[in-house]
Amino acid sequence: MDNTYKIPARQTMLLGVGMLIGVLCLVLTYVGDDDLHTRFWSNILHNSVFFTGIALMALFFLSASITAWAGWYTVFKRVWESMSQFLIVGFGLMLILGLGVYFGWHHLYHWADEATRETDVIIQGKAGFLNANMYVIFGGIIVAVWYFFANRMRAISLDEDKNGGDSNFSHHRRLRTYAAIFLPIAGFTSAAMVWLWIMSVDSHWYSTLFAWYTGASWFVSMMALTIMIISYMKGRGYFENVTTEHLHDLGKLLFAFSIFWTYLWFSQYMLIWYGNVGEETIYFKERIDHYPVLFYGNLIINFILPFFILMRNDNKKKYGTLLFTAGAVFFGHWWDFFLMLKPGILHTAHEVGGHGHGGDSGHGTDHGADMAGHGAEHAGDMAHGASEFLMGFNFPGFLEFGTMIGFLSLFLFFFWRTLSSAQLNPEKDPFLEESLHHHA
Amino acid sequence: MAKATKDVIYGLYNDEEVLMKAVKVANEKHLEIMEVFTPFPVHGLDPLLGFEESRLHIGGFIYGSLGTMTAFLGMTWIFTKDWPVIFGGKPYWAVPSFIPITFELTVLFAAIGMVVTFYIVNGMGPGIKLPILDNRITDDKFCIAFDKAHIDASVAESFLKETGAEEVSSKII
Repeated sequence: MDNTYKIPARQTMLLGVGMLIGVLCLVLTYVGDDDLHTRFWSNILHNSVFFTGIALMALFFLSASITAWAGWYTVFKRVWESMSQFLIVGFGLMLILGLGVYFGWHHLYHWADEATRETDVIIQGKAGFLNANMYVIFGGIIVAVWYFFANRMRAISLDEDKNGGDSNFSHHRRLRTYAAIFLPIAGFTSAAMVWLWIMSVDSHWYSTLFAWYTGASWFVSMMALTIMIISYMKGRGYFENVTTEHLHDLGKLLFAFSIFWTYLWFSQYMLIWYGNVGEETIYFKERIDHYPVLFYGNLIINFILPFFILMRNDNKKKYGTLLFTAGAVFFGHWWDFFLMLKPGILHTAHEVGGHGHGGDSGHGTDHGADMAGHGAEHAGDMAHGASEFLMGFNFPGFLEFGTMIGFLSLFLFFFWRTLSSAQLNPEKDPFLEESLHHHA
Repeated sequence: MAKATKDVIYGLYNDEEVLMKAVKVANEKHLEIMEVFTPFPVHGLDPLLGFEESRLHIGGFIYGSLGTMTAFLGMTWIFTKDWPVIFGGKPYWAVPSFIPITFELTVLFAAIGMVVTFYIVNGMGPGIKLPILDNRITDDKFCIAFDKAHIDASVAESFLKETGAEEVSSKII
């Protein structure tokens, strides 16, 4: 039975148009940007991190499922295998950003600013981790390791179709070894990457929960994207063996991890609120004061909406409600990353931009060294006060949406190219039979 | 209380796969199954027996909402009207600190409410002794039971034996 996915010409054209929109928006952002091109670079960082994380989480969940002897997902496991292959593109994107740190193309990270490093005691204390070498070399190695596992595990899985099926399940055993090794690696390194890529835009601030919170955000987005992709492909006549039962379970995971995300979000928020330490509360004060729509909207779209829609059993089995929720939550977590990154980046741009480019002396002498907090305190004496509304920072504008469409098209283009290069049905996977008779 | 007794014929199966097949055969032959007993939930059995989806979870939602309101409104009243105390310089109505307790009471109310509802609906409770066909149906046996009032005993017996029941017996419960 030939069940390879054939990419329709119209789909390629649509994704091509999507990518063109992305490029066009990036160019427009670059042209209309400030001197440091902060909006341009922050959009690239935002989307690169978001989609690389989705690819990582696909591999992570696949590994977790293999290790747990799970079988229900086997009929559509090629989807996650193909999603994880995007890590090679993610590697390229993060390398560009890393080289940007090295050569000063962008000023997204406060710690990368030379003048700040000379005077800022807190950033000096973190310099062992937050430096350009760490960002490029350590980050590069880690993403390469992720891709190595993604590549190997897909290769073994594809080879199983051709040469597998022996009574010893040798392919599956090898897959289990890879999966079990990858899990702890992914657990620890994903946290380190979150600190390096995302949390370090607020260089003075840190939170122990932040890595899990971000990881949960990636995970939910991955689940939402999986649901949308499978529904689309079922609509095109593929995956006839993926039943409502499978979709119901994906819906449950979307529901469960939306709540998990909220749990982590709230745990982080409440501890900081209760502790009431200025260095910590500044993160939330900045966001509540200057980004209220994004801040509260984030909770509504990522918690209230999936919680009440997906609570009912039936709603997780209906394509309409499931697709609507998946779409909203996917967008909501993109928005969540926007809110994680932009305030810190905007502040860094004010610091660096307000005192000329990174190399200039005199920066930070009047404030910074002894000041643990940042943001609101500085707002008054800045040329561009933080209270001033800035499209693309305080709220995502059309250019941000366009850039997102571009990156999403790139992801999907790469995904479908990978998916169509092998047959969809893993016919010799020992768990296929279980997956075909999945009842929940 | 005089309870109406039933004359039941039942068969014990060793495996849930065999049981599922037997239920399918019974459906084809339009035999009216009184009840099926299994030691654990068998996936896919409910739709075969024509059971509607349980409404227990609707009760769960109502009990949960009740718990949410009890906790949240209760704390709101206590900390703003009844006995206002300042904790750590926070306002009296400190919503974030209410959330964990609100969550816990929601779960507690939903859990206890659903258990109590389940017991009442099924006529179970402390001290109530319910008839049981065979002790092994809570261990490793799967049972299909017919009410002799609705089915000819010989038809039921031959059906049970044909579909692979290990033992067939009768009991008045």
